[in-house]
Amino acid sequence: MIPAFFSDYSLGLFIAFVCVIIAFYAMLKETDDLHRLLLTDLVEVVTLSIIALVGTDLAEALILPGLVVGIAEILAMSELYIEKESLFKIPENFLDIEVMETAPKILSSLMLLYGIVLSGFTGGAVAGLGLVFYFMCRKNSERTEILETVSGYAWALWVLAFIIFMTLPQYWFFAIILAGTGVFAKVAAKMTIVGTMRGGNDV
Amino acid sequence: MYELVNTNIEGQALFSIPFGDIVDYLTPYTAILFTFALVFTVIAIISKPERQVDIAFGGDAYYTKDISKKQMRFQRFMATACGLATMGGVLSGDVFNFTLFTAMVGIANIGIVASVKNKHILDNAFEYGILAMVGTMPLFGGAAIVLASTGTLSMWILFTPVVAVPLVAKLLLVIGVLAEGMAPVYVAKAEITRAPGAPYILMVHVSSLVMFLRVIEIVVSM
Repeated sequence: MIPAFFSDYSLGLFIAFVCVIIAFYAMLKETDDLHRLLLTDLVEVVTLSIIALVGTDLAEALILPGLVVGIAEILAMSELYIEKESLFKIPENFLDIEVMETAPKILSSLMLLYGIVLSGFTGGAVAGLGLVFYFMCRKNSERTEILETVSGYAWALWVLAFIIFMTLPQYWFFAIILAGTGVFAKVAAKMTIVGTMRGGNDV
Repeated sequence: MYELVNTNIEGQALFSIPFGDIVDYLTPYTAILFTFALVFTVIAIISKPERQVDIAFGGDAYYTKDISKKQMRFQRFMATACGLATMGGVLSGDVFNFTLFTAMVGIANIGIVASVKNKHILDNAFEYGILAMVGTMPLFGGAAIVLASTGTLSMWILFTPVVAVPLVAKLLLVIGVLAEGMAPVYVAKAEITRAPGAPYILMVHVSSLVMFLRVIEIVVSM
């Protein structure tokens, strides 16, 4: 019951075994434990390609369990390596994620700009979320007085817009812009408060 | 219903459980292995961990090493998983399932050894784990070559005299099982047997022994 593709198969198998020999030689030469752990992954990949070489549906169904076994082993071994070398880092903060140190400026300014483009309630929500994100990532001292100021200006804009609506209805478009900006600032300020009022020393 | 053709080693099938294509079965030979694994798994589940006693040389002082409940639980879990994987491997009527159970035995063995928080033991467990990871290559490679050269993985077909399995596949399979369940080699290092892990450490030996007997039976029957 030799498959028709046997010549191709045996060539592939030969190449795979050459890869295996290279990988094993590398493992033999390597002395650093972490690098050896990484090199075992090379062996795993070659194993998967040996299964894949069979090229049938059954082989396809067998690659997945093979992959799972490989991942499970490398996870277990990584834990073991961490334990062995006692490489523990006690997190200083609950959300100690590196991207939260670098991303907030760009992301929050993008969201703020997009919020300004949207304007009104939706824009305020988007900009406010950007600010929430910024304040969540940066351990800010809460400076709510700025928000109060912003809120005050928003109210003033809103009142101005209403006065224009009442007295000079032909300038309705200008009034709508004013009101939209007011709502935007208001919602953004409120959303920011949601993000910052977390208690602490300087409340 | 199902009849094994080659009954030289294992005898006629006692009973079989068909899961679609995959037909698990027990023969007198594998039934003994199964019972062996079962008994030791039950022992691992019900017994309390052994507390090592160290005696200070040249004096009357001695102290027992304490085993934390967390460590005991983890080792017991791993020993149980190892026993279940061993039983699964013994029961399996499918070469690939057998290899997967063998890989699981390997992982569980690493877990049993690695739960002891001691630098030497952890170092040994790491070496053993590297060996087990490398061992998946011959193990799965052997199974893949069996599949490629015969077109099937079912032992019911592989054991018939019509189907010829290449020697290299058998060899790879045996090497793979050796590497996965190769505790005996590392047990030569005293640290593991001295580890305060009895009776869970027992499962390492039981599983490697049973899996080895099973793979020899498979390879000879193929």
